[in-house]
Amino acid sequence: MSLSALPTLSEPLVIGWLYPKLMSTYGDRGNVTCLQRRCEWRGIPVRVQPLDRDTDPSQFTQVDLIVGGGAQDRQQEIVMRDLQGAKAAALKGAIEAGVPGVFTCGAPQLLGHYYEPGLGQRIQGLGVLDLVTVHPGPDAPRCIGNLVLEVTAERLARELRLMLGDVPYLIGFENHGGRTKLGSVEPLARVVRGLGNNGEDQTEGAFHGNAIATYSHGPLLPKNPFLADWMIQTAIARRTGESCTLNRLDDSLADRARSVMLQRLSVG
Amino acid sequence: MAGAIDNLRLAAAVMAARAIALAVRLLRRGAGSVLPGSIARKIQPNALALLAAQVKQGAILVAGTNGKTTTALLLRSILENQGYRVTHNATGANLENGLTAALLADANWLGRLDRDFAILEVDENVLPKVLPQIRPRILLAMNLFRDQLDRYGEVDTIARRWERAIAPLSHTIAVLSADDPTLCHFGQQLEAQWEDLARVRYFGLSEPERFLPEIPHAVDSIYCPNCGHSLTYEGVYLSHLGDYHCPSCGFARSRPLLNSRDWPQLLVGIYNQYNAMAAATTAQALGIGEAPIQAAIRNFQAAFGRAESLTVQGKSVQILLSKNPVGTNETLRTVVELTRDRPFPPTVLLVLNDRTPDGTDVSWIWDADTEGLVATGATLVVSGDRAYDMALRLAYSDSDRPAGPATLSVETNPKAAIQNALDRLPDGETLYVLPTYSAMLEVREILTGRGIL
Repeated sequence: MSLSALPTLSEPLVIGWLYPKLMSTYGDRGNVTCLQRRCEWRGIPVRVQPLDRDTDPSQFTQVDLIVGGGAQDRQQEIVMRDLQGAKAAALKGAIEAGVPGVFTCGAPQLLGHYYEPGLGQRIQGLGVLDLVTVHPGPDAPRCIGNLVLEVTAERLARELRLMLGDVPYLIGFENHGGRTKLGSVEPLARVVRGLGNNGEDQTEGAFHGNAIATYSHGPLLPKNPFLADWMIQTAIARRTGESCTLNRLDDSLADRARSVMLQRLSVG
Repeated sequence: MAGAIDNLRLAAAVMAARAIALAVRLLRRGAGSVLPGSIARKIQPNALALLAAQVKQGAILVAGTNGKTTTALLLRSILENQGYRVTHNATGANLENGLTAALLADANWLGRLDRDFAILEVDENVLPKVLPQIRPRILLAMNLFRDQLDRYGEVDTIARRWERAIAPLSHTIAVLSADDPTLCHFGQQLEAQWEDLARVRYFGLSEPERFLPEIPHAVDSIYCPNCGHSLTYEGVYLSHLGDYHCPSCGFARSRPLLNSRDWPQLLVGIYNQYNAMAAATTAQALGIGEAPIQAAIRNFQAAFGRAESLTVQGKSVQILLSKNPVGTNETLRTVVELTRDRPFPPTVLLVLNDRTPDGTDVSWIWDADTEGLVATGATLVVSGDRAYDMALRLAYSDSDRPAGPATLSVETNPKAAIQNALDRLPDGETLYVLPTYSAMLEVREILTGRGIL
């Protein structure tokens, strides 16, 4: 990655927020806040575009970054009823085209082939990610607890290592009933502490194009600010056609919050 | 014969449990509100049912996410003013062992319990298990927010379990929030199953001028619990509580029995008005008249750690329990309102723990609207197990610096944090402490210089 000054953007970066009212279960809006503020703190123009039921499908194609959060089963069904036709095609197209995105909990489930809730009908997904999710039933234990992950998705891991000069560990919290099994899609990370996709194969999340799918809320980005910066950097590069490096921010509070948790879980 | 053996075992269970309770007190260990219950239930697995059956006028179970303790205390003072003798799990231990322990504490050595009423705060997940054992005279359900979902799953699932457990009971009266769509729907289902409208009573607010200007972010069940269509709100009092109807299937809020406009304000805040209306509707279902209920509301003192005022080192300190996004939005709103006309911006200590009683997931702080507090230029001190997570939340709250507002300091040690906050408090102002549950116990212990159990 070449070092170049931050290019000026003629139009603000657009953060597309998927169904903010339906899909925001565990502080997921923290990911939106994090991307937005980190742009503002650097003087990068930015705005948040809700992608909701009453949003015109054309808006789904005009985004530089995408954030999707978790939902309860009922809300997830409502989302999937709405995310059809032009909206579905636009979201699929954006992910395939490499728009950076972070999808938490329910959001990756809807990007997969299907989600089978604990009660009720199987919910078909968009099939962008080659994965399926099954909830083993309302009485099965949920996967709950603090998570530490090591990013293993090859290109992402390489780029994060370049930014950090260190192993990219992600810190978060998982709380999900569904168990996800990956097909051919690359896992996002290896589980260092916690359960991850299914509690069996040590994988967590998925990485496809520049889309990050994960069970880790926390929310994810404020506690892992380098990941937010990677997303912003990638979005700017897509917009301008030139790679860029963002100036560093004072992340001392995030660093302390991270070291408290790493120490507690005896990692590193 | 089975009855006699049951009672013998109960007596044995009570004796063992009371001996344990005594030992715990003598040794000054902290588990006195739970351990005796656990011992008793090992010896007599039916201890809870056998004790509850002796309560003369029946048990009142209080369930819901927010407001249980304040409402239970208000109800207790209403009943005690009438001369009734009341058992109450006042320490907030609300799982099966805690409920058993509370009843045990008031029983004699033979397991005889001489009380008119039992008011039992019950954890929402445990409620389905205790309903058939206690067979309460009244189930009071306050509200369902998604705090502590990390333990329990989703609001819908909880409501479904409650419904299955209460439906078979033949005499229980349900007192439910009309303003909470999930609970209102729960009540309408019960009306249909029981075919007895008098057994389902609703409380709620009828003061549209107190609606929030817009629906806040920390909202859960704004979708129709009947058909899944989005609900239309005439207005919202807090979170998803308000006046609503479903434009698709016709589901609508049931009418509250009492008009909240005719009732005095309990303490401060709209959440306490809900607590007052819940207690009043329950007391009326027990045949108590309006005048004594209103008197109890006027004379009510704040519950432990909830809007509690203390004087420390000659300075005024107010503790406002802040354990989930909805409650925290309300306490933040209260702090900003109480200090609006003061000469200084507020001084606030936020203490965030992630222990079991708090819920181990602290992601909810990102659903709390801390922006308004930061915008006042408040002096901010953060502490607790997850102090830096709270600091990070404040840094991302409209501050122009990634390192957080200049007025922010982090002290992981709560004792040092309290001292720091008191030192920075201007003369004549009040220090507002916003702790999670376990943090509240800790802070209170430090401020009052003694333990609570």
